[in-house]
Amino acid sequence: MAYCGGYTTMEKDRIKQAYLDFVLNEGHPPQSVFKLTQQLGIAEQEFYQHYPNFEAIDREIWADFGRRARETAAGEPVWESYGSREKLLAFYYTLLEILKQNRSYALMSLRRSLHRMPGLSPRVLDDFRQDFENFVSDLLSSGRVSGEIANRPLVQDGYPRFFWQQALFVLGFFAKDDTVNFERTDAAVEKAVTLSFDLVGRNTLDSAVDFVRFLVRR
Amino acid sequence: MLNDIPTTKVARAARFAKTGLNVGANYIKHYAKKAVGAESTTEDLHAANAAELYGTLSEMKGSVLKVAQMLAMEKNMLPSAYADQFAQAQYQTPPLSGPLVVKAFRDAFGKSPFQLFDEFEPEARQAASIGQVHFARKNGKQLAVKVQYPGVADSIKSDIRLVKPIALRVMGLNEAQVRPYLEEVETRLLEETDYALELRRGQEIAAQCQELAHLEFPAYYAEFSTPRILTMDWLTGQHLKEFLVTNPAQDVRNQIGQALWDFYQFQFNNLHQLHADPHPGNFLMRTENGGTLGVLDFGCVKDVPQDVYQLFTALLAPETFADETRLAALLSEAGVLRASDAPALRALYLRTMHVSLELVGRPFRQATFDFGDPSYMAALYALGDDLMADPELRKQREPRGSEHFIYLNRTYVGLFALLTELKASVRTQ
Repeated sequence: MAYCGGYTTMEKDRIKQAYLDFVLNEGHPPQSVFKLTQQLGIAEQEFYQHYPNFEAIDREIWADFGRRARETAAGEPVWESYGSREKLLAFYYTLLEILKQNRSYALMSLRRSLHRMPGLSPRVLDDFRQDFENFVSDLLSSGRVSGEIANRPLVQDGYPRFFWQQALFVLGFFAKDDTVNFERTDAAVEKAVTLSFDLVGRNTLDSAVDFVRFLVRR
Repeated sequence: MLNDIPTTKVARAARFAKTGLNVGANYIKHYAKKAVGAESTTEDLHAANAAELYGTLSEMKGSVLKVAQMLAMEKNMLPSAYADQFAQAQYQTPPLSGPLVVKAFRDAFGKSPFQLFDEFEPEARQAASIGQVHFARKNGKQLAVKVQYPGVADSIKSDIRLVKPIALRVMGLNEAQVRPYLEEVETRLLEETDYALELRRGQEIAAQCQELAHLEFPAYYAEFSTPRILTMDWLTGQHLKEFLVTNPAQDVRNQIGQALWDFYQFQFNNLHQLHADPHPGNFLMRTENGGTLGVLDFGCVKDVPQDVYQLFTALLAPETFADETRLAALLSEAGVLRASDAPALRALYLRTMHVSLELVGRPFRQATFDFGDPSYMAALYALGDDLMADPELRKQREPRGSEHFIYLNRTYVGLFALLTELKASVRTQ
């Protein structure tokens, strides 16, 4: 059974890799699942044991990018000494490194699922988004414990979505960046994350709310 | 959306366009007031425009401010209202986050700074003009590692492109008149972003100044440096302000002042190349050996062409000061006086330059000079105020003189300021 499990993941990876190679070489997904499985020398039905269609592979590749970024960033010896803000920054920088190695694929897959609907998240990022929001929720709750982030019971449930918009902004900036080694994206990440943590940290707003509350309850 | 400071080129351009509109509105207000006979001086107009421009510039932070500061230093180039606003300008960048520093190292060396050095402090010890300085240790040596802010060179380039047309219009200057000056400033600013160049210059100048007493230069480590990261020895000592708080003895002040003077005179006279940023942050002082001066930051180095060198030296020579015709000839050569000038204007320039050169050149004409004499600095400031207040001179907005003088002036103004604060008595010849 263990052998069998190992075998299936290996085959799953093979399919994923073959799909990735095809997209990179041809600039578009294969015309059909049949074409890809034929190239791989496996039966078409084997494909469906792992994926329902090509879009599922795209979503998984993006989720892989996110997971690798989180794992690599957390593997740094300094990770434990970082606060929530630095952890999110480290995640973004690692993600951008990974995307840089896969920029052609990343741009192609993003563009394909953008559908001229600004503001809407590309479908290909669905799985990536779920993992990202979980990751951010964890960062935020540990930030609340350390006092880095203000406790605002009514609004804080919306934070993960707010940070997701930030992630989309970063990806969009990266996609359009035309500077050497994408240096402007680094600066954009730095500024965007600093601003967002200034906003969710204890600031003027909390004191103002507190003051108004005091006046109202008088 | 999330970026408070406009980051994209479009956003920056939009910000500038808005300023242009507001400045236009200021002009309309000015002429409207004039039309109804109300008192609205050109002075008011300049002040309103300067406030508008300064508001934009401080929102943009970064390099635009630096350009503004450089222009502000050439005070005679600008109407005073602009100069006053620009004088407030502070160049500041928020510190880089730990992860970005790590990333900069990964990009450059494929390793994190913690792998590269035996010890590396993730928190910066000080801010540099376009980056920050970290403390590190390697093989028992204490190191200073300067890390540059990403994208600085790029944003300097685009800022200059954006700021130029609007700044010129607001200041009432003509592009052709100020082009050589702006080009000079741009070149120096861009050079400052190249740490590889700084490393080479730092090594060269340190090697050539080896014979000078009581000076100390850091060694640079090319194997830990790239165009964006610069590693050098961590020099000990205090910056001028903290050093003065310790109340150093007069001999110590004199010795450090002497080292500073000799360093600049040697560079100017022998190397024809100057460390053109004598900012207090670039020097470290300590009382060891009766006073030692550490020199940092060779980011801004001005090469002095031979003809400019001769001109500058001749202008400061005692015999020039005594001989009006010789002074006029030299000033014509320098482009300060022009054949097309009306006699009254020519006389005005000649008189102004005569007064300025007498005062500025004073230390060069004596065997020893006491920079601690408070009346000297007071006289310098008074001269500046007089020049600014002279109504005839203020009408002359167009800049004059060789563009090479921008950085030479900056260097000597900075040097004099350091020496007067040190209250050092120096053998100047």
